[in-house]
This record gives sequence, C-alpha cells and structure tokens, in this order.
Amino acid sequence: MQAFLKLIYKDALVMVRDRGGLAMLFIMPLALVLIMTSLQDTTFRSINESGIRLLLLNNDIDSLGLSVEKEMMKSSLFRIYTDIDNKKPTEQEVKEAVAVGKFQIGVIIPSGATRHIRDKVSRNVEMALSGRQPVPERKDSVFLLVYLDPTTKTSFREILQRSIREFTSEIESRLILQEITREINEVLAVPVPDLSLVQEEAVFYREEYATLDDSGTIPNSVQHNVPAWTVFAMFFIVIPFAGAMIREREDGSLDRLLTMPASYAKILLSKILVFLVICYLQFVLILLMGIYFFPVVNLPALQTGSNLGMLSLMTLATAFAAIGYGIAVGTITRTHQQASIFASISVVILAALGGVWVPVFIMPAFLRQMSIVSPLNWALNGFYDILIRDAAFSGILPGFISLCLFSLACLALALGYKRIKRDS
Amino acid sequence: MNESDVSIDIKDLTKYYKGNHIPALDHIRLQVRKGDIFGLLGPNGAGKTTMIRILCGLLSPTEGEVTIGGYSLKNEMADIRRIIGVVPQDIALYSSLTARENLSVYGGICGLKGRILKRRIDELLPIFGLDKNADRRVEHFSGGMKRRLNLIAGLLHMPRILFLDEPTVGVDVHSKNVILENLREINRSGTTMIYTSHYLEEAENLCSYITIIDEGRIITRGTLTEIMDRTGSHTSLVEVFLTLTGKTLRD
Repeated sequence: MQAFLKLIYKDALVMVRDRGGLAMLFIMPLALVLIMTSLQDTTFRSINESGIRLLLLNNDIDSLGLSVEKEMMKSSLFRIYTDIDNKKPTEQEVKEAVAVGKFQIGVIIPSGATRHIRDKVSRNVEMALSGRQPVPERKDSVFLLVYLDPTTKTSFREILQRSIREFTSEIESRLILQEITREINEVLAVPVPDLSLVQEEAVFYREEYATLDDSGTIPNSVQHNVPAWTVFAMFFIVIPFAGAMIREREDGSLDRLLTMPASYAKILLSKILVFLVICYLQFVLILLMGIYFFPVVNLPALQTGSNLGMLSLMTLATAFAAIGYGIAVGTITRTHQQASIFASISVVILAALGGVWVPVFIMPAFLRQMSIVSPLNWALNGFYDILIRDAAFSGILPGFISLCLFSLACLALALGYKRIKRDS
Repeated sequence: MNESDVSIDIKDLTKYYKGNHIPALDHIRLQVRKGDIFGLLGPNGAGKTTMIRILCGLLSPTEGEVTIGGYSLKNEMADIRRIIGVVPQDIALYSSLTARENLSVYGGICGLKGRILKRRIDELLPIFGLDKNADRRVEHFSGGMKRRLNLIAGLLHMPRILFLDEPTVGVDVHSKNVILENLREINRSGTTMIYTSHYLEEAENLCSYITIIDEGRIITRGTLTEIMDRTGSHTSLVEVFLTLTGKTLRD
C-alpha cells in the first residue's frame, strides 16, 4: 500500500508541476465545448432570425403566384425579396443573382401558372363527375423553377421543396373545391356556397418531447452539444496519458520502478486514479460553465436535472474508458509522435462514428452499424439518456457496463503486451 | 565457493531474442560472492545489458536458472525486488520533481517511510554533495548532479545487492571521484555490487572480481591479478581486454 501511495503521490506531483499542460487539460475542453455549442446555437438562430435570402419572381399574377408569395412572406425561414435594386428582375437576372451568392435561393413562378392549374382541375373534375378516369397530361403541369446557390445545404433545399409543395397543394385543393362548387351549382336549383371558403383543418397536431418522466427538460443546442463535446474532449486525455507513459518508459523511470516492489499493474493503477480525478474535474468545470456561464453569453443554461449521481457515474465510466484507451495506446506505440498522431486521429474517427459530429440515426446503414463499436457512442447515449431523456439508472446501465468493459479490455491488452515484450 | 558465500548464482543462463538465432547470452555459468564488487565487462553488444536486465527481472531468460540472495528469479521475483537496488545507465529521475521528492518517491516505493526515509535522504544528499540542491528541481541539475542523484535513488533503501550499469558515464572527474569513493564505502558495509562499465581503468581500480564476456559467452574471469597472470605480459586491463576481444570496432 505504501508503494502504491507513493506512486499516486509521484503521478499527482508530476501532473501538478506541469502547469502549462494542466492548464491545457482544463482550458481546451472548456473552450471546445463553449465554441462548438455557441457555433451550433448561433447557426440555428441565424437561420431563424435572419432567414434564408430568397429571390422570388412571380410572373403569375393570379391565385398560385400570390398565394405562394403570401405564404413565403409569412414564413420565418425565408427572407423574401421580389426585386433587385428596386427593379423586378428577369429570369436570367434571378439565375445570376443566385449564382454570385447574393441570394441563396431563387424561385420563378411562370406566367399563367394558375390558369394551367385551373384548366387541369376543371377538366379533371368534369371527367371525374362524368364517370371517366382523369388522365394526367404532362403538358398541363406547372413547373416552378428553383435556382439554388451551390453552397446551400441540402436540408434548406428540402425545406423549400416542402414549403412550396404545401403552398401549391393548398391552391390546388382550393381550385378543386371551387370547380366542384361550380359543377354542383349547375345541377342544383338552390346554389350552394363556395366550398373552398368553408375549408377547415380537420387534423391538428400537438408537439411534445417524449421523456420517461415529466421533468420538462427541453432539448436545445446546449443539451445536445455539451455532452457531445464533453465526451469528445474527455477522450483527448488519451494523448497526455499515453505521453506520460512513453516519457516514463523513454527516460528509464519505468524500468527502475519495475525493479522495485511495484508491479506494472500498480504503476498503471496510480496513473488511472490521477487521470480519473482530472477527467472528473474537467467534467465538473464544463458542467458549471454550462449552468452558470452559458446564460451570460446568451446561450440556454444547461439543465442537469436531479440525476447528478448518475451523471457522476457516467462521467467516471467515460473517463475510465478514455484512460483505458490511453493505456493501450501508450503501451503499444513507441514514440510521442506515434502516440499523439494515432490517438488524435482515432479519437476523431471514434467521435464521428459515435455521433458527436452528426447524429447516428442520419448516418448510412453501414456507419450506423459501425457506430455501436465506438465507446464515444456509448458515453454519448448515456449522457443523452440522463440529460435529455431523463432515463432511470437501468437505462444507462448497458452503456456504463460497456465503457467499463472496454477499459478493462484495454488494460488487459496493455498488460498482455507488456508480458510479451518482457518474454521476447 | 561455499554456498553461503554466494550472493548470485547463475546456471546456464541463455537468452535468444525473438527472431534472432544467435544467442545474446549463451549458457552463462557464474557465481558472485557476497561482498564482492563484481565487474561485468565486455565490448558493445557483448550481452552485459541483457544479463543485467534479466537479473533485475526486466527481461525473461530463454533458459537457465538464477538465484539472487537465495531467491529464485523464476518464482520469487517479488522477494528479489526487495533486496536489490538498481542504478540504471539512463538518468531515471522525474525532472519536474526536486531531488528530495525523487528520493522520497523511490525510497517510499522500496519500503522506507517517515523518519527513516527522511534520515536516509538527509544522510546521503550531503555525502554526494547534493544537500544544497535538495529542493531544486532535477531539470536544473548538471549532468554530474543528476548522475549522483541517480545513484542515491538506487541505494537509498540499503539493498543487499546493487546493480550498477555504467554509473559514471558522461560525468566530470570530480563527480566520478565522489561516486567511486562512495561505492567503495558502501561496499565496505557489506553490499554486493554488480558493476558494468566501458571505463576499464575504473573497473581495474574498483572491482574485486572481473568477468569479461563477448558474444554472449564468458571469455575470462577472476581477480585482476589472476586475469593478468593468465594472459601473459599485459600491464593493464585495457591491454587484456583488447587481446581477448580483438581490436575491431563493435556496434
């Protein structure tokens, strides 16, 4: 025990004496979490607040054009412009304005669009009421021309398509009802009122976040980003940990320790304890920043709920997994360069697979399957379970156990490798 | 040699490194008497470091039996670790820690504690001329100071057997003198020493028994006088060494 305590004392002292390194271990994760969360939050806000710049050329001065224009004006997602320098643009000018990035999107509603739809609807209704099947004719279709800035994200394009489809189908159904009203009134003696005017929404929807209790935690960019980037930052402990192991090996201190009454397992265990404390302090600092500092910089405050015990357990399991990985890297790699390059790139890959950059559910199938081997994925899901889904302990248990087993497997790998090297 | 006088007993010690068909050590048989300063000499690549690393438990032998202080290397390594001290060729110290902190760590791991640990540190630092720098970080030390502290760290816990791997490499005359004088003093108190060096004059003056190995085999052994007598008209260990190992360069 005395030897073990001295090893802990030594590792703690070496760590404390490296003030620059220690500061990096705390400042860099804080900076990473703050910057990434702010970035994600402001990006989201800027889309909503300033909107996507959309240039609309409405050549159909009728129901469709006016309705699309009106609905787009109402949308908070788009900032609609109908002129360039107080002048109505031509189709070519719309295309050029989008091409040079003045607008993200250009929409052209062709002239006579409403008339085309009306004619088509009228013919279809007439055919339907006379018992014949309506035959779609492509020449009757209306093409809305949409120009996109090449840098526009796919998701914006999809939002735009959805919005336009929604506006046009509303117009179409209104025209259908008007046409049906007209047909009915031709037959009936007593005229019926225009059915399109009594159109009411039959289906409403209510939106709620599904959680396992009624804590009322609202998911936002902070609740999503703080766990993700914290897990990512915690795994970067692999680099200093492996570095400490390699330094001790290179300067001969490890060999000297191994000739003393201190087993390799004890030597590793003392390091594990010291780095666990560092990881835990990192997490506490990030948590405090999320709770108290984020509101100061206009970010939503992090809500930790009442599960601080579970949060601590998941933090320790994550730190244990990161340190275990550090042990494996530090044992198997030969130099600082090898360790730092391998550790940093592998952590980035594991983070990408684990859903730190993009959610796992939107990944391609084969990447989704690969994500289950990433310890960052287990850790991230565990934190989401606690911070967003308000899961019970049994909910985080599989992830917790997986992280601990991963660390033990890394430890076994390191001890086995050390034994092989001793025997070789 | 009487069995009770034997400190280290090596029988047929052989070591093949993985993928290498030439043995680094080839059936070495030797005994180290208690209280000796045993010089293990040889050119580069002779097998000295391999032998020291095996005796310290850092490397497994391919075959052979070794007992150190009566303990089997194969089965009682934990006991061996308690009675040996190692002064490695590398400066195996924590540079961000002070001299006192380094000694406190190594002494503590070797079982010294409290007042005994402090007393030993306070005893040894002045002997090796480091008392005035006890609370300075090792990173600010000169090469000679580091080398002296490296030595103290190996003998702080008063080991029965002390392994010294090139303990004076790269130090100035004054530091070397302090180190060698004190090694003699420590040996007089009964510590057995296994000493390797490339400085043959040092070995000539310090060692009570010398073994020269080359290509994993013992090529001569005995006291300095015995070796000189056996090899003819040589006047120094350097001449004996060059005659036995040849004059070609070794890497």
